[in-house]
Amino acid sequence: MKPPRPHRSLARRTCHLTSDKFPIAALALALLLAPAAAAAGEAEAKPCAACRAAAPADSCCREVAPASFSKESLYQLDGKFTDDSGRPFALGDLRGRAVVLDMFFASCGYACPLTVTDLLALEGRLPANARGKAAFVLVSFDTKRDTPAALARYRAERGLGTRWILLHGDPDAVRELAALLGVKYRREADGSFSHSNVITILNAEGEIVHQRTGLQGGLDEAAQALGKLTQ
Amino acid sequence: MLILLSTLAGGIVAAPSAATAPLMVTIPAGSYAPLLRSTQDSPQVAVGAFLLDATPVTNAGFLAFVTANPKWRRSQVSRLFADSSYLAHWAGDLEPGASAPPDAPVVNVSWFAARAYARWADKRLPTTAEWERAAAAGYDRPDGRNDDQLNRDVYAWLARPAPAVVPDARTARPNLFGARGLLGLVWEWVDDFNTALVTGESRADSGLDRDLFCGAGSVGAKDTTDYAAFMRQALRSSLKANNTTSSLGFRCARDAALTPAPPP
Repeated sequence: MKPPRPHRSLARRTCHLTSDKFPIAALALALLLAPAAAAAGEAEAKPCAACRAAAPADSCCREVAPASFSKESLYQLDGKFTDDSGRPFALGDLRGRAVVLDMFFASCGYACPLTVTDLLALEGRLPANARGKAAFVLVSFDTKRDTPAALARYRAERGLGTRWILLHGDPDAVRELAALLGVKYRREADGSFSHSNVITILNAEGEIVHQRTGLQGGLDEAAQALGKLTQ
Repeated sequence: MLILLSTLAGGIVAAPSAATAPLMVTIPAGSYAPLLRSTQDSPQVAVGAFLLDATPVTNAGFLAFVTANPKWRRSQVSRLFADSSYLAHWAGDLEPGASAPPDAPVVNVSWFAARAYARWADKRLPTTAEWERAAAAGYDRPDGRNDDQLNRDVYAWLARPAPAVVPDARTARPNLFGARGLLGLVWEWVDDFNTALVTGESRADSGLDRDLFCGAGSVGAKDTTDYAAFMRQALRSSLKANNTTSSLGFRCARDAALTPAPPP
């Protein structure tokens, strides 16, 4: 079963012009059209109408639409991903859930299986009534071999449940996500990857609240961070 | 025009004009000897022919980009994509000012910003292999390691503190391929800078921590004599993608196959 997608509200079609030409109209429209953005503390977000008036470039709304995410949100990244059922996936689709994020590759023989085991342990430590508020996301470095079908096989092999999202990405999207997470990686001659081992926890807005770097250090801090987000 | 605008992905509003886009030179197919490589890597990596900007992107070029893409203006950019010194030497959002002459390479730009510029210009950043391949040539010979004048210039640059105002790239002597300022002007971003697997802690870098880097135990230095290449490797490995510095700029590349062949 695929997790429900948040519907695309009008709030996402807002923009961040600094112009103060239309503060009152913008405020009124923002209250009318963009309650979610206002609630998220994005007072500077102006809806398309005001934005167009201030800067008649037609593309203004499209260009800054992702800015309705907070300025610290990873979901501003507009890279293209595909889940293991073959459906297109945008990182912003994770909005609203606590996210445990790990970059890996399915044929990894050393660190990735251990990290996935750690993530399963984190899932197991959540109280049953909190599990639905969390998503466990694996994004593959291996844009060539880890096709959606290969990721679906990995899901079956590891027995990953419905809260797990396995993503194949465009090479650009994977590189930019890795850069945002501070994850370094390189493809080796044998097709495997050398890579940093980092577990990242994101809040409902897609902001980083915790990272565990390396395989050591235990899971207590990560579990605590995840626990707070899913209370 | 509206149709054109609405079909471009990512809100790209206009292509750069010929006036602000640098000329591109062809870097012929060749090879690159990685400084750090895994034990199973071959000592030479083949690099296909590609096009490279003859000079780094200038302040004038970057001004055209931020003018067309408001979210990349200094006051509007997300800290996630560019740190607090992004375009810090500019007088204002759309005013480069005295510290950023129009024809000087733009600096204080992040990897994300450089990438966004390249996409807007319908180009891309060069890979490490491509950049090093282009920079390996001397002024008048394919192997710059034997070019004494080039080596003197590079090490003199490394020894000097970064100037307050970066010089115009067109004043730099072109190398064999016609590319100017690759060595001895500003440091430059490469697309895969985050493949440089070092921890940033010098004591640990001789044998990378298997806890931090899966598979990294096999990565080691090959040629320890190329000091300038070590400097570039060290810089790349120390950077985060939103970092900006006053001596770090970029230039763009393009696949050779995408452009029509020159007339015979």
